[in-house]
Amino acid sequence: MKTLSFSDVRMGDQLPSLDVEITAKLITASAIATRDYQDVHHDQDAARALGSPNIFMNILTSNGYVGRFVTDWTGSTGQLKKVAIQLGAPNYPGDTMTMSGEVVAVNEDNKSVELKVVGKNKLGNHVVGHVVVSLP
Amino acid sequence: MTDDESTLQHQIDSFVGAEAGPFLSWDTVNRAMIRHWCEAMGDTNPVYFDPDAAAAVGGKEGGVVAPATMMQAWTMTGYAGQHPPGSDTREGMPVMPVLNDAGYPGVVATNCEQEYFLPICEGDEISVSSIIEAISGLKKTALGAGYFITQLSDFFNQRGEKVGNMRFRVLKYKPAGSTG
Repeated sequence: MKTLSFSDVRMGDQLPSLDVEITAKLITASAIATRDYQDVHHDQDAARALGSPNIFMNILTSNGYVGRFVTDWTGSTGQLKKVAIQLGAPNYPGDTMTMSGEVVAVNEDNKSVELKVVGKNKLGNHVVGHVVVSLP
Repeated sequence: MTDDESTLQHQIDSFVGAEAGPFLSWDTVNRAMIRHWCEAMGDTNPVYFDPDAAAAVGGKEGGVVAPATMMQAWTMTGYAGQHPPGSDTREGMPVMPVLNDAGYPGVVATNCEQEYFLPICEGDEISVSSIIEAISGLKKTALGAGYFITQLSDFFNQRGEKVGNMRFRVLKYKPAGSTG
């Protein structure tokens, strides 16, 4: 795994994009891996009863993917300091979430980088995130 | 606002400032749960698998570190919806059953803002304490009418060090088209 140094990063740098195939398997496996047993993340009938067309990804997983997307870019020595996300269009099975990111600030004093991360599916923005990561 | 809505608003507003916790974790921070989480996230960062790599980012005593964004998972109630023995017996979000009874059964998370202060390391015992920061008025949304509830949580390790915090917002709603 390549590791990024603070001195490598410039304002406006773009992160390599990532496509995440959204499947029922991913939604249920990641809900359980995050210990979230809310039925809307594994039971289609329950999801429909609450007004959704299908099961959908839980927020703990969206959060995990935003973090992973950033540390895939930094390599193993990047340390997340903040992940703040807002969810919009749900991630339903059969969709693809395309993640993109951009450096929006660099802080010399604590060698940290601020990023805007977006995960977009065919319905719109699933997640918009603001992330702070420190680098060696 | 109808009289019923006004009464309900007054009732739920009384939960702002309600504190709860600590709630403990069922499991100490461990490599198996970390690996299952990483499998589902497609995360191959070696600091979650390899103690030598973890040592460079705060790993301790030959252990791995946990993904920062896995913080909340440790204190989740799990399949039975119960916190482990030794936890606070109060409801973490006592306004939820009130809104269920008032005809707002749906719940969907909309925001999660986490800050991380210390690495969460293999062997750590994580606990969480929280407070209800805000409850909105009745809002119309694509899913249906409902209330946004914002909870602030602090996460601690077994030494009482704050490892991180979280502002978490959910929409508690009446599904659009339902008659309830």
